[in-house]
Amino acid sequence: MLADPPRLSKWCETLRKCGRALRDIFYGMTTYEMVRDLRKERARLEHLFVLITMGDLLGIPILPPYYSLRLLPYVVPCIEGWRCCLLRERDLTDLTDFET
Amino acid sequence: MNAITVLIISLIGIGVGYFLYAKTIDRSIIRPDGSKITPAKMFMDGVDFTPANRNVLFGYQFKSVAALGPIVGPIVAVRWGWLPALLWIILGTMFIGWVQDYGSIMVGVREEGQTFGALSFRLISRRARTILLLFIYAYLLLLMAAFGKIVGFDLMTNPAVPLGVLLVMALGMAAGHMTYKLKMDILVTTGIIVVLSFVGIWLGTLGTVKSLFVAINGGATSPILFGSVTWAQFLWSLVVLVLCYLGATLPIWRWAQPINYVAFWIVFLGIVGGTIGLVLWHPSIPADFPALSSIDGKLGDLSALGPLWPLLFVTIACGAISGWHSLVSSSGTSRQLELETDALYVGGGSMFLEMFLAVLSLLCATVGVGYDKYVALVGKGANAGVFANGLATFLSQIGVPVSFGLPYGAVFLTLMALTIMYLCVRFMRVASAEFLGDAIPVIRNTVVGTIVALALSAIMIWTGFWSYVWILFGGSNQLMASLALLIVSLWLKSKGKNYLWAFLPFIFMFITSIAALLTTAYQVIGANLKGGLPIDKVVGNWIAGGLAIFLSLAALVLAWDAIRALARPAEAPKTAQA
Repeated sequence: MLADPPRLSKWCETLRKCGRALRDIFYGMTTYEMVRDLRKERARLEHLFVLITMGDLLGIPILPPYYSLRLLPYVVPCIEGWRCCLLRERDLTDLTDFET
Repeated sequence: MNAITVLIISLIGIGVGYFLYAKTIDRSIIRPDGSKITPAKMFMDGVDFTPANRNVLFGYQFKSVAALGPIVGPIVAVRWGWLPALLWIILGTMFIGWVQDYGSIMVGVREEGQTFGALSFRLISRRARTILLLFIYAYLLLLMAAFGKIVGFDLMTNPAVPLGVLLVMALGMAAGHMTYKLKMDILVTTGIIVVLSFVGIWLGTLGTVKSLFVAINGGATSPILFGSVTWAQFLWSLVVLVLCYLGATLPIWRWAQPINYVAFWIVFLGIVGGTIGLVLWHPSIPADFPALSSIDGKLGDLSALGPLWPLLFVTIACGAISGWHSLVSSSGTSRQLELETDALYVGGGSMFLEMFLAVLSLLCATVGVGYDKYVALVGKGANAGVFANGLATFLSQIGVPVSFGLPYGAVFLTLMALTIMYLCVRFMRVASAEFLGDAIPVIRNTVVGTIVALALSAIMIWTGFWSYVWILFGGSNQLMASLALLIVSLWLKSKGKNYLWAFLPFIFMFITSIAALLTTAYQVIGANLKGGLPIDKVVGNWIAGGLAIFLSLAALVLAWDAIRALARPAEAPKTAQA
């Protein structure tokens, strides 16, 4: 006997959702940590670059403003994250991630 | 009782604990609001604060919390009999374990992603923060000692194991190179490296390789080097410390991260294979394995461990409740939660899954190994060997030869331990630089800081009795958990919410952990005063006793400050401004 098509498609959808959830859980257990580490590495470099080019924002005159202004359009997207990261109060338990 | 019945009881425990108790607390007290902005969104910097899908975060949380604890704890605890161990795993998770994990996440989410150091400063007192950080350092030192002893003294001294471990390390580094430098597809890299890792473990079982490692160990009976430490134990624990040094100082992508990734697959496939083997086999717990052996943990010819209360409750830490989880939850997970409503699924769900892992480990010791072999192995000090033997028996049910399953189980445990040990050394290095950096500037140097952390760990590994160190580690772990519960209770009180569901577990865990630490201090100092111990054990016992007393005093000071904080009036509810 053939299954009712709407019910079959509902089952297929549920199965697809389960598959997606399983895939996400696996991603969380495996490569997610790698992605986080890479993001952190990129952010560190970006923050260093912003500090060098936009140090004036913190009162650190590092590059002549001319070059800072030339670089400004490229740096603008990073400034908000940089400020968040830099101004956040850190505790010792912040300094090392407790992830394996 | 049949093993399947035990698994079904655990599943019922998960159902009742998660779907009835935890969900009720979640809905009626915490009342998460899916429309509230979480720290992950509010402070999104693409680094620490990044919203992640609930399933991804569930996988991340489970992998971060499930280490050697839920495996070794139940194996040791069945010395009091399998029934109290099983009951503590299930009831501990149902009423305490998930409360701590979930509570730590929710406090972090509602308090703008602040970690426990900052929260203890704000909610308790200035000195609470310092004590908490000293406490974490001592706790991690004990963790290093307990895990280092298992790997260096117990697992790696088996001549069939070292080659597999060293090859997996080398292959992990190769995986990092293939992924980051050669830009190879991660699936291809995983396939190649995991297959080669299994080949490496198999190579270790060959007769010639084993003879080579027997020769390196100084013969079948390794000679005593100092105190009661053999040459093989000294050598392999030193190798473990060198691996930890590399893990703590090399760039993360070069060493720790890819090795952890490869290790995950070795461990994951072992758990899946072992579970399938157990279900297909579905044996009963042997009749000669007592449900309750004796109140002082004396099983057969094995010496007594000590009173069931408080020691059983700290021997099984991670499978029921663990302070480590609160650190992961507050500093990692709470900053990545996309919606408040995901907290229970991520924090509570992964704790209940870890409970299942602890039950599997308990079955490894009882049905996988059996009474006689268990007593023989533990009598020889091969506590971790019990798990390797049990896993090998389970895997043999799906056609994996025991000669391969045994070293595979040992490599599995070694990798699990090492992934945590790298992290501990990294934290200890940062903490010592923070504490002593002003007074002793040289400690800020990465190499010096790491060597100091490893030297302290080495002293702990090479001295003392493993069973005492394990109980001390468990005691400090549970004390850490109780302090996390205290912070959660204080936070609930400050918000005018019902805090008894976190405060009562805190009282139980606090009294139990302090009692366990003081009992252990009494045992080790008493053993020293009786005399007749080799010098390494005497030194180790004094250190262990001193640490136990220090941790107890520190916790009592913290609790005193916390009780005073608890007496403060709750925050006045905010009224709408006109």
